[in-house]
Parts: sequence; C-alpha cells; structure tokens
Amino acid sequence: MDDLLERAVGLIQQAGASYGDVRLRHDHTERLAVKNGRPEHIARSESAGLGVRVIVDGAWGFFGTHRLEKGALEETVRQAVDIARASAAAQTEPVRLAPVEPTTDEYETPHQRDPTAVPLEEKLDLLVRATEAMRGPNLRLAQAFFSAFDTHQDFASTEGARIRQHIVQTGGGIAATCIADGRLQVRSYPNSFRGNFGTGGYEFVEAMDLVGEAPRVAEEAEALLAAPPCPEGRRTIILDGGQLALQVHESCGHPIELDRVLGMEIAYAGDSFLTLDKLDTFRYGSEEVHIVADATCPGGLGTFGYGDEGVPAQKTPIVEAGRLVGYLSSRETAPAIGRTSSGAMRASGWNRIPLIRMTNVNLLPGGAGSLQDLIADTDDGLLMMTNRSWSIDNKRLNFQFATEMCREIKNGRLGRIFRDATYTGLTPEFWGACDAVCGWEAWHLWGTPNCGKGQPGQTARVGHGVAPARFRGVQVGVKA
Amino acid sequence: MSASAEPWRDPAARERRLLALGQAMVRESRADETEVLLADGREFLTRFAAGRIHQNVGTEEAAAVVRVVLDRRVGVATADSLEADALEAARASALAVAEASEPDPDWPGLPKARAVKPVKAYHRATALATARTRADFAAAVIAAARERDGEAAGIVQTDEGTLAVASSAGVAVAHSHTRAEANALVTCGDGSGWADGVAVSLSDLDADRIGRRAALTAEKSRRPRPLDPGTYDVVLEPAAVAEWLQHLAQVAFGGKDFEEGRGPLSGRLGQTVTGEQVTLWDNARDRRTLPRPFDYEGQPARRLSLIRGGVAEGVATNHYRARRLGKRVSTGHALPASSSYECVPMHLFMKGGRASAKQLVGEMKRGLLVTRFHYTNVLDPMQTVLTGMTRNGTFLVENGRVVHAVRNLRYTENVLAALGRIDGASKRLTRVPGPCVAPAVRVRGVQFSGVTEF
Repeated sequence: MDDLLERAVGLIQQAGASYGDVRLRHDHTERLAVKNGRPEHIARSESAGLGVRVIVDGAWGFFGTHRLEKGALEETVRQAVDIARASAAAQTEPVRLAPVEPTTDEYETPHQRDPTAVPLEEKLDLLVRATEAMRGPNLRLAQAFFSAFDTHQDFASTEGARIRQHIVQTGGGIAATCIADGRLQVRSYPNSFRGNFGTGGYEFVEAMDLVGEAPRVAEEAEALLAAPPCPEGRRTIILDGGQLALQVHESCGHPIELDRVLGMEIAYAGDSFLTLDKLDTFRYGSEEVHIVADATCPGGLGTFGYGDEGVPAQKTPIVEAGRLVGYLSSRETAPAIGRTSSGAMRASGWNRIPLIRMTNVNLLPGGAGSLQDLIADTDDGLLMMTNRSWSIDNKRLNFQFATEMCREIKNGRLGRIFRDATYTGLTPEFWGACDAVCGWEAWHLWGTPNCGKGQPGQTARVGHGVAPARFRGVQVGVKA
Repeated sequence: MSASAEPWRDPAARERRLLALGQAMVRESRADETEVLLADGREFLTRFAAGRIHQNVGTEEAAAVVRVVLDRRVGVATADSLEADALEAARASALAVAEASEPDPDWPGLPKARAVKPVKAYHRATALATARTRADFAAAVIAAARERDGEAAGIVQTDEGTLAVASSAGVAVAHSHTRAEANALVTCGDGSGWADGVAVSLSDLDADRIGRRAALTAEKSRRPRPLDPGTYDVVLEPAAVAEWLQHLAQVAFGGKDFEEGRGPLSGRLGQTVTGEQVTLWDNARDRRTLPRPFDYEGQPARRLSLIRGGVAEGVATNHYRARRLGKRVSTGHALPASSSYECVPMHLFMKGGRASAKQLVGEMKRGLLVTRFHYTNVLDPMQTVLTGMTRNGTFLVENGRVVHAVRNLRYTENVLAALGRIDGASKRLTRVPGPCVAPAVRVRGVQFSGVTEF
C-alpha cells in the first residue's frame, strides 16, 4: 500500500498540482442490536478506498474510488485534477494553506480488547442479559446496543507528510420503552440514541455495567409513564452530563467551525452567529464557562493523532472565562484569523473530503463539586437528564431541547419526576446564565456518533467532556 | 479507453454484470437462503459560496449487502466493493453472523420473485455531465443572484447508479438511474431566500430560475422585524410541507414502529387520524418523483395509500413486517437488509387543492408565509409533535398581502393535527428534493413557540 500512496503522490505532482494529498482508508464496522432478549439486528461492514485531493490553478478538486488496483489510480488522479480545473474557472482568489510541518509518524488509539475480535457470542450474551434484566408491566421494548468502528488510514501529501493511523472506537447502551394509553416514554443508559461512545476497546462497554443498570432504567421508564408533565416557567435547571454534552455540541461546537463562520456551509446546515469580529471580544457565556477543543484528550470519541490533512492533534482554547477566544479551523480557513490550523479537518471515509469537524469540544470542570453537591446547593430547580430531542437555528442561536427525565429540586433535594420536559433559549443568554459547573469528580467524556455535516453528507464521531452545570432563569416547558 | 474501464457509459451492460455477479454469489452460497444486493455508481457534487466553487468532489462507489439465512438465523454483512475477495469476505461474515445469532421463529423466508415493470429513470447526458458542466451551472446561478444584488451559495449535483438484487427465492432484478439536484441560498444584506430542484435529468433544472427565485425572496426578506411567538395561520410553501411529510414518514408510516406499537398509527388503520382534506400516498413508480421500479428486496414498487380523506389506510412494509402484519406480500418499501429501520416510504405525495399559491396568501387575513423549515426534529413520536425553525424567508401577511419579513420563528406542533387544519392547498404540486411531491398549503393556528435574532 505504501507503493500505491507514493505512486499517487507522484501522479499528482506530475499533473502540476500545487498541493495534493491522498488518504488510503479501510473501515471495519460492526453494529449489534438486541430487543426483548433476542438479537434483532447484526450487521458488519467493510469499506476500503482511496481519496485524492488536489489544488490545481489555485482551486480544489477531489475524487474518491473503491478501486484500489494500480490501473485505477491514474484515472482517480485525472478526475481530481479535472474537477479542480473546473473549480478554477470560477475562482476569484487562489486557495492558500496555512503552513504545517510535514510529519512521518504512526498513531494508534489505546485499547485493550479489540472490539471486533471479541466473539460475537460474548457480545450478544451481554446485550441479551441486559435486556432480560429490564422488567415492567408496560415495558414494550427492552433494547441493548453495541457498535465498533475500526479505522486504518494512511495519509501522504505532496509536502512530504506520511502518517499511518489506527483509530478504534466502541460504544454501547440500553433503552427501555414503556407504552400505555397512547403515551410512550423511553429511558436510556448511559445515554440516549444507542448509548455512549469513545475511543477504546471492548473494555469501554464492559465498564458500563449494562446488566446492573438495566432494572433501574426500566423502573424509571415506568415511572415516567405515571409522572405529570413538566410545568412551564422560568426555572433554574441543572443539566446532567449526557444532555449538557449535546448542548455544548449544538450551541458551541457547531458555531465555532470556521468554515461555517466564513459562509462555506451557509446553504446547508447554516452559518454562525460567532462572526470573525467577535473573536477575543465576545462574551459567549458567564465567567464559569471555559471550553476547549481537545483532540488529544484520552478516550474521547474525537481523539486522534493527526487530522485528515496531516495537522497534529491539538488542544485549542475556545472560550476562556466566558470570552470567545478561538475557532475550529483548517489549513485553508485558519489564515482568516491569522492563525495556523487547529487540526480539525476530518473525513467520514475515503469517499469524502475532510471538513472542519469537532474534535472533543469540552466544557472544563468548575468548582461546584459533585452532582449531589450541586443539587444540595439548589433551593428550587429542575434536574434534566438524557437528551430526547434537539433543534437549533441555522446560526446556532435559538435552541430547544427535550430530555427523557426531569426531577424537581426543592431545598437541595430531589423530588418529583416530570415527563416530557423541554427547555429553550438563545445561546449567549443561556451560557451567560451558567452560575455553576461541577468539578473533576463529575466530569465525564461523552461521545456523539452521529454528527451530520456537509454535502455529500458526512457523519462524524466527536466527543464532549462535561460536568453537570446549573443555569438560572431558563424557559422550561414548551407545549404543542 | 475501453467500455469496461468506463462502465457508466453502458448502464445496460452494468445491470447485466451486477446481476450475473449476484446470481453467482447466490448459487455458490452454502446458506439455506441467500440474498445479494449490489450497487455501483458515481456521484459528483459542486458546492459554491461567496462567488466561488469552494468544494468540488466526485466519487465512484460500489456496495454489496449480503443476507444469508441458516436454519432461520439471519446474518447480514456489507462491503463497499465488487471485487471477488471483498464479496467473499462479506458472504463469510454474513454466515458467521447467522451462526452466532438465534433462530427467528417468525422468519418468513426471503420474498419470492414478483413481476417488476421497468421505469424510465436514466438520462445519459446527466450520467456523463462533466465538472465543467456543473461549474457553468453554478456560474449561472451566481450570475442570476447578482442581477438582484444577491450572493448565492448552493450545490449542483449529478449522480448515476445501478442497483441489482438477486436471491435464492428467484429474485433477479436490476435498474439504472440518474439524479440531478441543484439549490441556491441567496443572501441580500440581512435577507435570504431559497430555491431548489431535483430531477432525473440536469437539463430539467433551470439555473437562472433557481438563482432568480432565491434572490427575489432574499430581496423581499430584508430588514426582518421581530414578531412575538404565538399561534398564527400560515401558508407553507412546498419545501416546508415536504419537511413535515418526510418526518411524518419516519415516525408514522414505517411498518416496523407501527407493528411494534410505537407508531402514531399503531392500531389506528381505518380510523380518522387527521382532517378529511388530507390525502397522502407513496408511489415510487410515478414519473413526477424520481422513479424506481423495485425496492431493496427486489419487490415491485407500487402505489401505497397512507392517509385518504383523513383516514389512515396503510404503512410501508418489507417482506418481514408484511408477514408479521398478516399480509402475503410487502408494499415494496424495503430498505437494504443492513438498515435497522427496515422500511419507510421514500416517494411521498400529497394531494393538492384548487387554489394558486397567490390565492392562499390572498385569502389570509393575518398570518405568516413560510418558505421552508430548518432542523426539524421529533419531540413526541406518538403524538407526531415536531419542532423546528423557519428559514430563508418568513413573512407577515395582513389582509391578503405580504407586509414585511419577520425574524425566524420556532414552531412546536402536532403535525398530524396541524394538517387537519389545512383550509387551502395549491393545485400545483412541486417536486422537492427527498423526493416529495407536495402542494403549498394554508394551515390554521400553527403554534410558534420562540423567535430568534435574525
């Protein structure tokens, strides 16, 4: 395969490209789903191919192919070059790339048990036992999930970079669905939408204790069916880790993508309220709010050694004491803010170009201690747990989230359960109302495996480290 | 260059090749039952923004989905390749999965072959469209927007592909198609507008019209004023209607959720579920959509009535769900066996009315005109409650006239109930990317729960 890469780089140079890179990638994916004690869905997939990206006459072209024979290489490079020449016809300014030191290196995410090599029977047994441990009179669906993503990638650029990476990502979780009287309630663990995900091996799922948590999850789903709806009003809310991770994702992670800020995504997912003039001056949140984009964070779903244009993984300050200080950037976009790339370019496969993607966009821990400490410090509020629904406008200002479960807080203690809880707000106001963030003891990494962006569409797996946090005066309860 | 090196020049030959490959795999399989789905195609997409092409990509992709059954134990594996080694690995992987699984007492066997009538969905010039063709299209959109002082961003896409399904139950079908899509989001100061199109042939899309239409809306939507959240009558343009219908398809019209009792129509077929003015159906064979002759199990596509006159009539099924629902054959809406969603309608239609789009606005005393929605998501699947934002042109209408643009609003609404409050629909149906063929509609009393700053 080294030979294939070198040959591709040689062909790109011969074609007169001012820059080019090649990614040879092989993805092995496994997804298991068990329902009511029986395997419902078992699917394995293999995908291997080559993506060639070039700059010719100052403009980009990309072509990807699943054909890895040498004969297909010339055609692949020719296609990429032809596409770039067509782009150049409409080009006003030539693409300029921020400098990066070409590296020769190998990187592998740490893992103990290869998740795809663990026998299927062992994985299914764990999931079956987890679903069998969920019980309840209205329990309609007891589900358990496992996913593994194993990616090998070789990267070479005309600048001399030669990088080999092996990324292993694993995830799993359980969900109980109770239905009665036309109402449906779902309770999940450790997170909704198939669980939690991170870089690591099968040990990541084993540590979840899915079987041990299953009875509680089912009981809470039953309790939600009988619970009253969450009342409307301006309230103090505490978000648990899973919900807060998605709040960070939608209201911070996306608007700091510099391609969005520069209008490159405006026709699809949208642009950003965090315009360039706000860098280093805009008050994004309260002084409690410190956010970094950290691709070096051990175990994060957005952890890697190098981005997909050969830039080393980095830890980039984004929000310091509430002030916006950085963006996620690429080699092409970083010059717009006078900086070098933050190393955030990633592609979902060999058949897609790298885009600016979140790495691990983490809310740093504060001084509020554990979740129990924060609850004890709250006289009157709501604890909102585990995402159920999300939506946000195309500049990432107006959002609305729904959570699976909500608990009343009175005089520092948890009280009644509420169902169908929602909250809504505007991003800077919401983060400006953050008055407490829990400490390291409550800080946890959450994986978001379904981050969509780009055309053609790409799904990225990204991470968010958060500790539960408290927000004052938030609008709760939106009814249809 | 030889024909074999450029297989996209001869779709019929490619169909024969994929079918032969699939049938050979079926013949050589040691499983009780085997189904092989093979796909091969190319996609090209040009993205433009700020007056330039900033992303321009092409791929050639292949896919194989192998489903095997051993003693009622089902295994599925996929490969993104048609090479012999990759296909053999996929078959071996599917067998390993089946061996590790448990017998499914409800397994009905793979669906048997049924007659499939071909549909015309391939346009040779679109399949052969060059990067230069797409760049010229983008330049025309940009130029049309600039005539109205707008700046356009968007895409021009041309795809072509072939799908073949072969199985031990005798299924052996293949089909080739092309697809062209273009859109433009035009900004004009603080105003924005949108226009799009999708077709079998790129020649059916008009770059100038897309650019002008989006620019016109952008111009009108400048200086949007804040409007309090509340309940408003609305005229929804077809793109907004399609967004509701496509989400409804996901939560309400899939046979899996329906059969599991977690869909809003579960147990309600034959009952009135919305207003009598609502008639929805799916028909992959209709020329007004992007036609397909069969589904991913090789079963013939056919018209499926979902809601007629407000009464729930059907849900989409694959063979497995059809049998569990007591039907002999599926509705022809199977997804690939690798998909856990199993079956959904993907060629939706909504019946129109008698009005023109202008009349819908002209007859409204006070309300909103909505171009499209953004980031719609499901709040409550059983109650079909959705939330999302308006985008790219939201206008206040008073006494039948658009008076000014308003800042984008968030809606939170029970969509089945809202459709029941439609009091006017356009005669003209528009094909919206998805695809979905829908009219513009006027809906009474839609709940808007929030407002943003632009």
